[in-house]
Amino acid sequence: MRKRILIILLFSLIFLSGCWDKVEIEQRIFVSDIGVDLYEKEKMNRFIVTYQYPNINAIGKNATEDKKSFVLSTPCSSIFQASRELSTKSPFPFYFKHVKVLILGEELLKEENLVREVIDELNRDTKINKKIQIIAAEGKAKDILNTNISREHTVDGFIYSTVKDNKTSSRFTSQTLTGLISDLDFSGVTLIPRITIRDNRYNISGGCIMKNYKQIAWIDEKENRAISLLNNKVKNETIDTIYKGDLVSYTVTDTRANKKVRIDDGIKADFSIQIEGYLQGYILDQDKTAFRNEVLKEMEEVMEREVKREVEKTINKLQKTYKADIIGIGEHLSKFEPKEWKKIKGSWDQIFPHIEINVSLDIKIRRTGLTK
Amino acid sequence: MQNKNTISNQQIKALLVTTVIGVGVLSLPSDLAMILNNSGWIAIIIGGLLILPFIIIMDRLFKLYPGKTFFQIGRKVMHPIAFNIILIIILSYSILLLSYASRIFAEVIKVYLLETTPTEVIILTMLIAISYIARSKLEVVARVAVMIYPIILGFIIFLIVINLPNADYTNIYPLLDIEYKEIPRGIMAVIFSYAGYEILLLALPFSENNENSLRYCMRGILMVIGVYLIVFFITLSQYGVHQLKREIWPSIAVIKEVDLPGYFLENLDGIVMAAWVMVVYGTMGPFLHASGVILGDIFNVKFHELFVPPLIPIIYSISLIPDNLIESDRIMGRILNYFALISIIIIPTIIFILAYIKRRKDKA
Repeated sequence: MRKRILIILLFSLIFLSGCWDKVEIEQRIFVSDIGVDLYEKEKMNRFIVTYQYPNINAIGKNATEDKKSFVLSTPCSSIFQASRELSTKSPFPFYFKHVKVLILGEELLKEENLVREVIDELNRDTKINKKIQIIAAEGKAKDILNTNISREHTVDGFIYSTVKDNKTSSRFTSQTLTGLISDLDFSGVTLIPRITIRDNRYNISGGCIMKNYKQIAWIDEKENRAISLLNNKVKNETIDTIYKGDLVSYTVTDTRANKKVRIDDGIKADFSIQIEGYLQGYILDQDKTAFRNEVLKEMEEVMEREVKREVEKTINKLQKTYKADIIGIGEHLSKFEPKEWKKIKGSWDQIFPHIEINVSLDIKIRRTGLTK
Repeated sequence: MQNKNTISNQQIKALLVTTVIGVGVLSLPSDLAMILNNSGWIAIIIGGLLILPFIIIMDRLFKLYPGKTFFQIGRKVMHPIAFNIILIIILSYSILLLSYASRIFAEVIKVYLLETTPTEVIILTMLIAISYIARSKLEVVARVAVMIYPIILGFIIFLIVINLPNADYTNIYPLLDIEYKEIPRGIMAVIFSYAGYEILLLALPFSENNENSLRYCMRGILMVIGVYLIVFFITLSQYGVHQLKREIWPSIAVIKEVDLPGYFLENLDGIVMAAWVMVVYGTMGPFLHASGVILGDIFNVKFHELFVPPLIPIIYSISLIPDNLIESDRIMGRILNYFALISIIIIPTIIFILAYIKRRKDKA
């Protein structure tokens, strides 16, 4: 009896071991970037979905192939539907656990419902990492992924590294899926980076203002920097100003922004921004030195004036032209003045353009580098 | 190994914590956010404090009749048939809770780990694994609890550490914007998450040191309150209240939000699921053990091992009744809430009052 059980157990080792649904790693296609464009608004195939995935055989020391990545696109009704459509053209099943970047095309961004569908699909899916980067394309997302194809390809995807590793730069503000959703939940507006093609290369700079899942404006780098300053998101940045006819360039090492919102008679918002950094470049001249306190103070003043003008111009544009509260005043009120917020929540779009916003800047040049 | 029949107070505390923390913790933050928005923490605290008097009641009950088990006391103070009915109510509550827990367990595993494995297989394997521990003595169950206890602590510490760098702490505000009318509903939602402490009815009589066990039980409940508060605040600060309401199981999904520099930690759901399987094991094991013991007592038998296996098909078939996740959450969850209210709050109180009156009469 015992022997018989032993034999059965031994056989079970052979027949019951292993994983039934095993798929080898090289027989999977790891999609790294997804691009979504508008196709036919009224019909079922509303999107053109583009997948980009690395060529596993071209990665590593013993790469056997040259082509770094592949791009496939198809008209379809949803992001994941595209994988079914494309399965007729690709050797292996698609695998979405390592998607890093979602690029939304310009035309799609103008359709609120379609954007909501795309975002919901990603938010609902169990495989998608919720930290994927969202980028808005000026033009077609498909073209951008196709431009990117010939470039050298890291495992994570090139666009992803650009967005992620430069996330301290204030040329653009990187935005993740959860960040996007929670921004739109709290204040109804958010900022996502803009990607364009310039000289056959992609270029990420500036941003796209989304209001209620719909694009309302493109903004440039300067405006993006001003918004980042107000939102306390700047870590590394250079500020260039003209001081007495010479260019002064200043590297920011640390910024702190504080937001105070008061409700007395009318809403008043005070932003105080403190910037610290060092002198990066001035001019080599016998008569000119930066190693004097008065000079530094004057430089600071010039820069303060310059940055303040820039910030105030942007705030004015946000309030009057875009009516978009990206600087988080509504969110601040909803968190710290919940009772007042409930009263004004409904008419926030009308109230926001008339809020009094004060900005105070404090720039400190702490060091002047190696020379005087 | 020697066959001990008593358990230490430390074991009682571990047993209490592991049994109480179960499937409820997964959806608790989002359920509370639905009802109370940001102030859900208040329901967690009030709900937990409400449980404390009933633990004192249980402790007193066993002080009135030292050395007697719950069943002996029950048969002494009540008519045996009436007591049998009460036992059947508790038994059906345990079976329902086990089915609910195994269904939710299977759904979560299916979503995060084994998408192509049939639900039936997941439930059945878990039940068989649990029946192994349920057939042992209470002392063994308690020893398993002591092993699982640090896993829960480790899991919570892990959650805190990985969420610290990129959570937005202003999301927990407004802290004190409370809608007082909604608090009772919030407490009802949280009460299920505290179900499981009735394991004390079985465990307390076996305590080595009856004097101190109450203090350990209190500590256990405070610990559970702490764990729930931490999970609530972490998910809230990570998601913000609107997105938290949208999530079904925020406590696990929050892992997907982790984004540490250097990319070396990503897609951590596997690790968390492994810890969570242990947590569910720590909940279902004691419950199945208790069901076996209750059934044994109804049939007036000294041992309970025999009654555990027949329960498995019952639990299995009940767990497969709901058509989908929403049905099991809404209908099964609601029935379970009422059952829980009866068997963990009303029944111990009734028995305590009867025992108290009986005691007075005997003395007079």
